[in-house]
Amino acid sequence: MIYAFIQSLHNGTLLDSGPFVGLKNYTDILTQASFWNAALFTLVFTIVGVFGSWIVGLALSLLLRTHIPANGLFKVLLLLPWIVPVVVSATSWNWLVATPQSPLPILFAHLGFGNVLFLADPTLAKIVVCVFKVWISFPFMMMMMSSALASVDTNVYEAAKVDGASNWQGFRFITMPMIARTTFVSWILMTIFCVNDFPTIFLLTGGGPVNATQSLVVLAYLTVFQNFQTGPGIAIAFVMTLVLVIISVVLYRQIRKVNVE
Amino acid sequence: MSTLSVRRARVKDQAAGSVTATRRRTQTEQRKRGGWWRFALIVVITALVLVPIIAVVGLSFQPSLGSTVKGNFTLENYSSIFTQTAVVTWLTNSLTVTVVTVVIAVAVAAPAGYVLSRARNKLVSGYSLVLFVVQSLPVVSAVIPLFILFAKFNLVDNLVGVTIIYVGSTMSVAIWMMAAYYDSIPIALEEAAWMDGASLFGSFTRIVLRNSLPGILSTAIFAFLLAWNDYLIALVFLRSDPNYTLPVGLETFFQQNATNWGLVMAVAVVMMLPPIILFSFLNRYFSVGGIGGSLAGR
Repeated sequence: MIYAFIQSLHNGTLLDSGPFVGLKNYTDILTQASFWNAALFTLVFTIVGVFGSWIVGLALSLLLRTHIPANGLFKVLLLLPWIVPVVVSATSWNWLVATPQSPLPILFAHLGFGNVLFLADPTLAKIVVCVFKVWISFPFMMMMMSSALASVDTNVYEAAKVDGASNWQGFRFITMPMIARTTFVSWILMTIFCVNDFPTIFLLTGGGPVNATQSLVVLAYLTVFQNFQTGPGIAIAFVMTLVLVIISVVLYRQIRKVNVE
Repeated sequence: MSTLSVRRARVKDQAAGSVTATRRRTQTEQRKRGGWWRFALIVVITALVLVPIIAVVGLSFQPSLGSTVKGNFTLENYSSIFTQTAVVTWLTNSLTVTVVTVVIAVAVAAPAGYVLSRARNKLVSGYSLVLFVVQSLPVVSAVIPLFILFAKFNLVDNLVGVTIIYVGSTMSVAIWMMAAYYDSIPIALEEAAWMDGASLFGSFTRIVLRNSLPGILSTAIFAFLLAWNDYLIALVFLRSDPNYTLPVGLETFFQQNATNWGLVMAVAVVMMLPPIILFSFLNRYFSVGGIGGSLAGR
């Protein structure tokens, strides 16, 4: 009964929307330039989001693994970007970068870069959104990697050191393989988070300037709730869903393979 | 002759011992110095990372424009948001929706996760794959059809409607998390209970649930964060001021008072306090590692 309830909740929504989608919507959106721009930005955003946060998260978890005073305190403090609601952090980032009176533009002006308008320039806005995403999601990666690292036996490193392995070799040939499974899982989860991410982009830039930071999700939202074109909006969402389901299933199989080995 | 050689050997030993001792000492000193470097590094990184959050708190205590208060510290922003704006209503809405979501999510996921954990066969693994796919669906693709559906049932601009969606979207991960926790409880416990004449349901409620408090808490935290932090669903489904939850409320408030940062940040502080308080008390129960492990284990 419980399963049926959950099933009905999810599948029901998909079924209900059936009659509203015609093939014409699909051909329409697939020939639109804005769709492909959004797809490209989604790709960039996802790649930067996943690997950026992974590198930062892994580096920090390695750093926190060494004996540092007040270790636990830093662990909790560094999780804050992930705990704080996105609306709050987006507001704060707006204060930091958005207007010419904000601290960061003033700092840049003092450094001699002139007046930098972070969210008005398309390229800079893209960079800011990506950095913001990494800032939000690195704590998640840090937690995942910490828990993976915790399961690696330190004796293995001692043994490797006796055999004359350098630190880098220890990392490359012991740490990396040992945390490979968790790394895979965290990449998959983060890919899903990034592709689906709406508030991060929408709250910081609203998709602007000149649609530069429109991801597919934002585009679908704007199409439906600002231009009131329900059909094309759903079509965008469904193309996204289809791509994401395929990626998920392929990656999921991959994890299972790693598991079996 | 023999005593001499023994003495010589002893001297040699001592020399060797003092050499290794000094080497060890320099090593620990190096390690200590390395430790201080790392400590400094982590302090700098943490400070940089926390700048946006510190800014929020700091600005919320600063006098707003046109205020009569002198100096750099005031509680005026807080008193004015609580008396002059709808923040209290938004806070109540958010708390109600979140608490109801957490309770329902745990109540459903606890038995469902149990089934997923204990009854392993093709059907159940297939179902767990379905859960995984459902979880990865873009929220937007569900939101648009749901909006059309909810409009028919008068659930748009209705907190009940939003709660239903939160429960639905929490469910898949909540079930995974519970199942992962049950996996760590040995089945022998229940078998013993069955031997003593307990029913399947009885062994579940009396034995398994009592031992799963950490699992239940981490699932509850997950559901709390999801419902409390959500922006998209509230933005789409809540259309009038008295029904806003805090995220949408904060955003509209921000757009209306864009220059009055003190007030905006005071609302922001109100909004980020509950998750931070919850987290500081329960952080040891919160492990995303659990989510990842459950995903990888299936």
